[in-house]
Amino acid sequence: MSVKWTVNDVELYLKEKDYIDTAVIPLMPLSLSSGAKATASVGEFVQLLTGELERQLKGRLFLLPPFTYFVTERHEERVRRLAEWTRELKENGMKHVFYVACDREWKEAESKLEGTLFSLPMIPFYDMDETYKQQVIHEQISQLLSAFISQWT
Amino acid sequence: MSNKHRVSRRQFLNYTLTGVGGFMAAGMLMPMVRFALDPILKEEAGAEMVPVAQVKDITTEPQRFDFKVKVKDAWYESEEPKSAWVYKNEKGDIVALSPICKHLGCTVNWNADKEHPNQFFCPCHYGRYTKDGTNVPGTPPMHPLDRYEYKVKDGKLYLGKAKPRGGA
Ligand code: FES
Repeated sequence: MSVKWTVNDVELYLKEKDYIDTAVIPLMPLSLSSGAKATASVGEFVQLLTGELERQLKGRLFLLPPFTYFVTERHEERVRRLAEWTRELKENGMKHVFYVACDREWKEAESKLEGTLFSLPMIPFYDMDETYKQQVIHEQISQLLSAFISQWT
Repeated sequence: MSNKHRVSRRQFLNYTLTGVGGFMAAGMLMPMVRFALDPILKEEAGAEMVPVAQVKDITTEPQRFDFKVKVKDAWYESEEPKSAWVYKNEKGDIVALSPICKHLGCTVNWNADKEHPNQFFCPCHYGRYTKDGTNVPGTPPMHPLDRYEYKVKDGKLYLGKAKPRGGA
């Protein structure tokens, strides 16, 4: 799997700007206090899904490094920062900006943001049976895939 | 940039990648676990061709089979998820096509566009290919889908490298 903020991919992007018109930003909470394990699980899930989506739709998606924030950061502050990222991307020619998040709080911010939010359900993976976990992930990937594709049409 | 800083960033990246990659291999390739654990097939490890499907499961309708191949890059060895669209043509020959769109690399789907049934369809910029993988003129791809080298042994289909085919 690949991380997309790489020299090769940036080169491709600069050459094919007209086609690669969608930026994907994984929204990644951080915490080192009591909720750390659940927070890490969210992060892992979001990265897993965006990584797989990038693999399947790489000709159109530019997967950015995650937008990270400590869960203690003030809500307005992180919304402001994300709005700033979005503005920067749009100014540079991205037609679509997709956020992928697990954190409920972003729902409330959606109206203040110019991109499209894709919320994933909170799934407590760390005490889930392995086979079941794989099914759930598979399912989530195909749902997110069709959600992305339908945004384009 | 100090050297120390660089190392720690790389380590971080490495951890992230290993974590996500391993998790993914587990998640995406469920159907293949069975094959990977089959002791007979283990001997094939390291050989270039990998078992992908039972020949008896292959129909005249393209089906998608997922598998994985080992890849090595400068930093670590990992398993890359791959898939193939496999079917038998009128002559009864097996055709195994790479799903990677020849335009900019998205994954194509069989029969996914209602307006153009029985074609491979790329959701990114609506590229299309006929059943044998030939690109449809007027859509973005300029080349046919790659074809996997294959062999059949003991009722199993093995795939090797995906090779480009000449122009449409
Ligand atoms: S990547 Fe398939 S049509 Fe552009």
